[in-house]
Amino acid sequence: MKKNSMWSLKLNTASLVLIPAAVGINYIGKLFAGALKLPLWLDSIGTILAACLAGPVVGALCGAINNIIYGFTLDPVSFIYAVSSVCIGVAAGILAYKGKIKGVVSAILSGLVIALVSTLISTPINIGMYGGQTGNLWGDALFTWCTASHLPIWLASGLDELVVDIPDKVAATLIAFGIFKALPKKLTILYKNDQEVESLD
Amino acid sequence: MKSISLYQDKNTPVHKLDPLSKILYIVVANLIPVLLGNRIATMAFILISIVILTIGRVLKRTAPMLGFSGLVLITVVIIQGIFRQGNATPVLTLGSVVFYKEGLLFALNITLNVINILMSFSILVLTTKPSDMVETFVRLGLSPKIGYVMSSVFQIIPQMTETMATITDAQRSRGMETEGKLITRLKAFFPLISPVVMNSLITTRERAIALEVRGFDSTQKKSFLSELKKTRSDQIFKAALILVFILSLVGRVLMWLK
Amino acid sequence: MAKIVVEHLKYRYPLTEELVLKDISFTIEPGEFIGIIGENNAGKSTLCQALVGIIPNFYKGAYGGKILIDEIEVAKQNVSDICRKVGIVFQNPFNQVTGSKLTVYEEIGFGLENMGLPRNEMIERIDYSLRLLDIYKYKDRNPFDLSGGQMQRMAIASIIAMRPEVIILDEPTSQLDPQGSDEVFRAVQSLSHEGITIIMVEHKMEKIAAYSDRIMLLQDGQIAAFDTPQKIFSMDDLDRYGVNAPAFTRICKSLNIKDEKTGCYPVTLKEAEDALSLSGKGGLRV
Repeated sequence: MKKNSMWSLKLNTASLVLIPAAVGINYIGKLFAGALKLPLWLDSIGTILAACLAGPVVGALCGAINNIIYGFTLDPVSFIYAVSSVCIGVAAGILAYKGKIKGVVSAILSGLVIALVSTLISTPINIGMYGGQTGNLWGDALFTWCTASHLPIWLASGLDELVVDIPDKVAATLIAFGIFKALPKKLTILYKNDQEVESLD
Repeated sequence: MKSISLYQDKNTPVHKLDPLSKILYIVVANLIPVLLGNRIATMAFILISIVILTIGRVLKRTAPMLGFSGLVLITVVIIQGIFRQGNATPVLTLGSVVFYKEGLLFALNITLNVINILMSFSILVLTTKPSDMVETFVRLGLSPKIGYVMSSVFQIIPQMTETMATITDAQRSRGMETEGKLITRLKAFFPLISPVVMNSLITTRERAIALEVRGFDSTQKKSFLSELKKTRSDQIFKAALILVFILSLVGRVLMWLK
Repeated sequence: MAKIVVEHLKYRYPLTEELVLKDISFTIEPGEFIGIIGENNAGKSTLCQALVGIIPNFYKGAYGGKILIDEIEVAKQNVSDICRKVGIVFQNPFNQVTGSKLTVYEEIGFGLENMGLPRNEMIERIDYSLRLLDIYKYKDRNPFDLSGGQMQRMAIASIIAMRPEVIILDEPTSQLDPQGSDEVFRAVQSLSHEGITIIMVEHKMEKIAAYSDRIMLLQDGQIAAFDTPQKIFSMDDLDRYGVNAPAFTRICKSLNIKDEKTGCYPVTLKEAEDALSLSGKGGLRV
């Protein structure tokens, strides 16, 4: 069974149709988090799940389209943060492809990696857009404290973003992993591009 | 079906503009202030955006978006005004809290910048039908499959949220607790999101098959049912934008040469 | 018009051990109306999807034998090419809506845009399909704002617009209310009058008996019988196959009234009426 490279741009129809569902799951995660008043965003569960199912290219597309849709339906500022979502999708896809999201512990570790990637990309955007703040209460409180303590802006802003991203991305990865494990193999196999038809003749 | 997009369906000259013109405007409106590096340019573009939004009769709709960012901006003003590195010149003192000029000016820049971004993007978002935008890009060469994915998200998400509401009600009626301690609420998350995800993945498979039997995977070059409409105002608008951009570029170079 | 030839078709889904289709062979002539019946898991849906190439190309798995439509081997083509000859409509009307179009009119045009047809031809075909399926009045509505029956008719219209020579309907009325069901059956009748080959999987025996030229009875992945409705429903051991005969047939069977000409039991209301009045059995008026 030949394995397509994880960067293959040949996406089958099932993987493409997965993307709107993944963006929908992101949306619903956000809604549930709001309704249950959880201190998390949980708006990347779909992207991470899609990346686990179909690889980094689909993960990247989910991230990009997610923010484009948010931009058209909630807040235009989301367009600017699209790069961050794309990188989350790519990171999750690479981790999943390399088998790094296999159990609870590895899911948590992967979540940390994804949080780190998200922080690395979002921080420069935060600095450019909002002078380093993220709009999150606790994160910005930390930012204020860091700035008052004369820490450099990139550190203050980075910590602000990190403190928000770590719980959110770890939780999102755990949830995405949990859902992934619960899916029947008959469904997950559809997204693997390397299946062949066996001959019975 | 309830739409999730912010698009307002009205019949104004702004609505009739090609999405590309509006995107060009966004680029120009945000790039020129960066090029010229001064607040006047930013404020000028904010005003131009307000004018365009008024012609498009969608100005009022920017209020919720501004409110959203507004809260963050207020905290930026406060935090930068008080704590920014390099704050030296006190400007306002409230009790033991001192606001400095450098920080406040910095915050002003940020605020103007964010408002400029919001306003210029709003023109696109409030006056363009998402399906028209996607079609514009597909005509320009975007893969029709990606175009499909983008268009379908706008209708599939409302379908999914409806399903979610049904599933949430069903779970609640089975005694699931959704209020109370954090742990309780966290435990409620999984049984709520799992059925929604399962349902959408099965739906996805059936939809993928339905698409394939309508030639989705075809390598044939796609045609368009709708007609392409180009107006004179598009050409004038784009020309004006490009002109202003070139002038700014020239101005920047001149400033640099001085 | 396309002739369908199936030779020794076998199929097994991925990650399973049992064959779902176990050596199926048959021929269908152009313009025939074929009904497919059988209990659950007999392989009816799998067979339908195999005729369009979805099996094996979408699911992969293990495949043997061949399906020839107009002498073209289905499994070796792309689904997007075969779909110009063979169309298929599924049970759930919701999941057949693309979601990317805002009006019924544009939705029907989806497949035509993929085929790269010129604009005026698309308009002609869409108008034709809208009228044939009697949904012209809904053409400007959002596809998700239709009732089940209307949505299913839109799905059929979307396929018909592509002008296939064969159309397969896999339990198209299972998820519809009686009114929706009737609307779909009426639509299918119009289709058969156009000369298209129709293959329909159904559980409503009265309808299938009335419309079909021949009925294929599937069980456990094999063809148990493939004959006229009269012969199929006159079989004595029908419940062995998990199917019931149409109501009229069951009544006539219990009264032991056969159609004089065929030696079989009546399968439609009309046939039952005729047979009963001919036999003069005790003033029964149907």
